[in-house]
Amino acid sequence: MGLEDQRDVETDVYQPAEDSHLLADAACDDLADADEGSLVLEVGTGSGYVAGRIDDETPARVIAADLNPHAVRQAREAGLEAVRADLVAPFADGALDAVVFNPPYLPTDPDNEWDDWMEQALSGGEDGRAVIDPFLAEVGRVLAPDGSVYLLVSSLTGVDDVVEEAGEHGFSAAAVADESFPFETLTVLELFR
Amino acid sequence: MQESLLEILCCPLDKHELELEDADRDDADEIIGGDLVCTECGERYPIEDGIPNLLPPDMREETPA
Repeated sequence: MGLEDQRDVETDVYQPAEDSHLLADAACDDLADADEGSLVLEVGTGSGYVAGRIDDETPARVIAADLNPHAVRQAREAGLEAVRADLVAPFADGALDAVVFNPPYLPTDPDNEWDDWMEQALSGGEDGRAVIDPFLAEVGRVLAPDGSVYLLVSSLTGVDDVVEEAGEHGFSAAAVADESFPFETLTVLELFR
Repeated sequence: MQESLLEILCCPLDKHELELEDADRDDADEIIGGDLVCTECGERYPIEDGIPNLLPPDMREETPA
């Protein structure tokens, strides 16, 4: 790997952390019995870690999408089908059996935001939901009628607020995994209709 | 990208179907270059190094880093 690529990996693409592991475990458990040929989209795939786990551990076909050009390149190099996309905008109506998303969720003071790819991967705006809310508003369009969304949410963002917002868009929610850390509790929500 | 991916993609602006033009394929028949063109509005989305860039045109140039 050249120096320039190394820089890509270290500073421009979110690398797997506790949240990624929790989300991958939960999604793989639930999708282990998925039909061959069912379609799973990971939004904001970053390094491609979660999509790669689903690809390895389930029968589903996985698409890895990200806004960040460095991330989609890294996902493709990891052998995944990659698409550069803004959330679910370029996916066809009802085409996906599951959508998995570890969103940028840290509440951020607007005066403290730093304008680079890593900030975009982490910052959820002032309330932590600047990306989650538009995602919830559009994901229903691309999801098959019996499809599910697996969404990672932190206590820093407010799980109840996210469940309420999902409800506004016709989703029921169940917590399928959670794990506590010193400063936050991470929860994987399954959203379904 | 695999050609079968086209079935689940659409124009991010108006959600109409996309058509593949000027496709470059590798030995495994994977599409590594070309354009995806909206059948309704005619907007073109480039495929570069096997990755379709389906960002709306106004987001394509926004590069924070």
